[in-house]
Formats: sequence, structure tokens, C-alpha cells
Amino acid sequence: MTHLDDIVTRVILRAKLPGRKRGREVAEELRAHLDDLVEEMRSQGYDDEAAARMARMRFGEPQEIAAAFASVYAPERWARRIVQATLLCAASTMVVVVVVGTVQSIAAICAAQPILSTLREIYQEGFGFGAITAGYCSLYAGERLFPTSLAKAALPSVVLGLCLAAVFACAIPQHAALPLVAFACAASGRLLQRLEMPFLWLAGTALPLLIAWVLFGPLIPCWEFPWLVWLGLTISCKALREIVRLFERVLLADLA
Amino acid sequence: MGFDRELLKGSIALLILKLLSERDMYGYEIIQESLRRSHDAFEFKEGTLYPALHQLHKRGYLRTEWRTGGNGKQRKYYGLTPAGRKAARRSEQEWFSFTGVVNAILSKAHS
Repeated sequence: MTHLDDIVTRVILRAKLPGRKRGREVAEELRAHLDDLVEEMRSQGYDDEAAARMARMRFGEPQEIAAAFASVYAPERWARRIVQATLLCAASTMVVVVVVGTVQSIAAICAAQPILSTLREIYQEGFGFGAITAGYCSLYAGERLFPTSLAKAALPSVVLGLCLAAVFACAIPQHAALPLVAFACAASGRLLQRLEMPFLWLAGTALPLLIAWVLFGPLIPCWEFPWLVWLGLTISCKALREIVRLFERVLLADLA
Repeated sequence: MGFDRELLKGSIALLILKLLSERDMYGYEIIQESLRRSHDAFEFKEGTLYPALHQLHKRGYLRTEWRTGGNGKQRKYYGLTPAGRKAARRSEQEWFSFTGVVNAILSKAHS
């Protein structure tokens, strides 16, 4: 890569243009401009090295150009982010419904209960599914917003958790504990997944459940099957991790 | 010659639209043309010109086309759309009205 290519790359990386195609097009346009500047300098008698140096000086600071481009494309960038976040949340909720539904169906088979009635009851757990998705995705969102500080990364989860606690306390006062525990388990699961230590993330979902056992015990309606709750949450967290990875590969790569 | 950035901000779009109302040009050509016409007094900075071109394109005032020049190089040409032509005329009228008013005030102040 030449020095001029490096300047263009720095502009494109900092400009955060929405879409690879647009990024490529701006890169080609700026590169052509730099080539014209070099040609102009050569025609004035500069050698190749001096011409490239002069062209770079005339071109200006890559940061400033990138900042100006970033400001032009800020509305599209935010619109894309909102669409991406919506897609991630929708896909995550679907995955959670499928995972928890499957775990409950298997449990129903083992307990010789009718699967259909078990599946019919799943819709009643909408708050729980939403809470698992919200717990996991809010911490992921925090990680993206504040990649260098774990304390700051946890902030969206804490704020959302408090908001959900208020909503659940009003909407389902008798059953508010389970979705809140599910929220905490999912966020905690994501937190321990970051550590990249084998099997440690399994504790991420177990710890909040144990705390809930001590604090709420009988308040959780399905507490007679704690292992089932843990299994559903743990597999959900694992599946959500794969969804997030897929999201980063497919959707976020478009922003790079 | 250096001009106050705030003073320039409102006239960048007008200058680009006016230059492109005569013929299609690419970025480097716009800079050269503005230098020539201003007798080297005004030069677009790359960090100002290209984002402004993209902003005007987003607003629907400009169309773009990649063309191969005589030396075989690909360049992105900008030209005005019908909406861009209207905007150019409107901006030019506004500019002359505005500078007329400013000149009138300044000449009174001097007299």
C-alpha cells in the first residue's frame, strides 16, 4: 500500500460511511483526486517523492475530511443502526422463543405432559422472552458504545433493568420476579462470555438464579424446575452469542 | 487569500452549483476552475468540497457519473439535476439580493 492509499484508507475508516459500496466509491474518488494532485506537482518539476509529499500537504488532514464526510452521512448511519438493532432484537427474540419452547417441550415429554398445552402456555411468557433478549442485547449494545470500559458498557443494562423492573411491577406485579431474573441472567451470561474462558459463561446464568433462589424463592412460579429454567437461559445465551456473531459478520461488516 | 470560514459556509453550495451549471466537472476540476476564476484568490479545500458535493448529491441537486478521461483515468463527474438548476438560480438570486443589501448598508456607513 502506498502512502497515498494509506491517506485514503484513514479517511474512509474514520468517515464511517454507511455501506461498503459507498466507502469504495469515495475511496476511488479521493484516490483519483490525489493522483491529479501528484500529476500537477510533477508537471511543476517535482520528483515522484516530493510530488507525493506536496500532494499530501495540499490534500489536508485525513481526520478533518473524514469528520466532514461523517457529518454528511450521519443520518443514514443512524437509520442503518436503528434498522440493524431492530433486526438483531427481532432475530434474538425468535431464537429465545425457539430455544425455550424446545427445552420446555423436551421437559414436557420427559414429564409425560401434553406438548401442545405446554406450547400454548409459552405465549404467556412473552415478558420473559423479551427480558432475556433485552438483558443480552443491552449489554452487547453497551459493549459497542463503550468498548474500553466494562463499567460504562454495563450502564445500558442497568438503566434498562431498572426501567423493566418498574414496568413489570406495574404490568405483572405477581410475576415480575421471573422476567427480571431472566434479564439479569442473560446480561450476566453475556458478561461472562466476554471472558473467553471455557465453560465459565455457564455460571453467568446460574449465579443470578442462585441469588434469586435466596431472595425470592417461592415467588418464582416454575421454581420447582430450576434446572429447566437454567438450561433454557443458558442455551438461549449460547444461541444469542451465535446470533450476535452472525450479526457482526453479515450486517456490521457492511459498515466497515 | 484566506476567508473567514463562517463567511464561506453559506456560499459553498452556491459556488458549486454555479460552476456545475455550465458543465459537468469532477472534484479536482472544480478546485482548478474556482482558482482560475478567482485569480488564485479562492481555493476549495478537499475537506470542504467533497463532503459538500456529497451533501448536494444527497439532496438531489447533483447527478454523478464515472467517466474515463483522455489519460485513461476514471473520474467521478458531477452535473446538475433539474432540481439542482432551480436551486442554482434561486441561490444566485438570493446571493445578489443579500450582497446588494450588505453593500447598500456598507456604502451608507462609509458615506
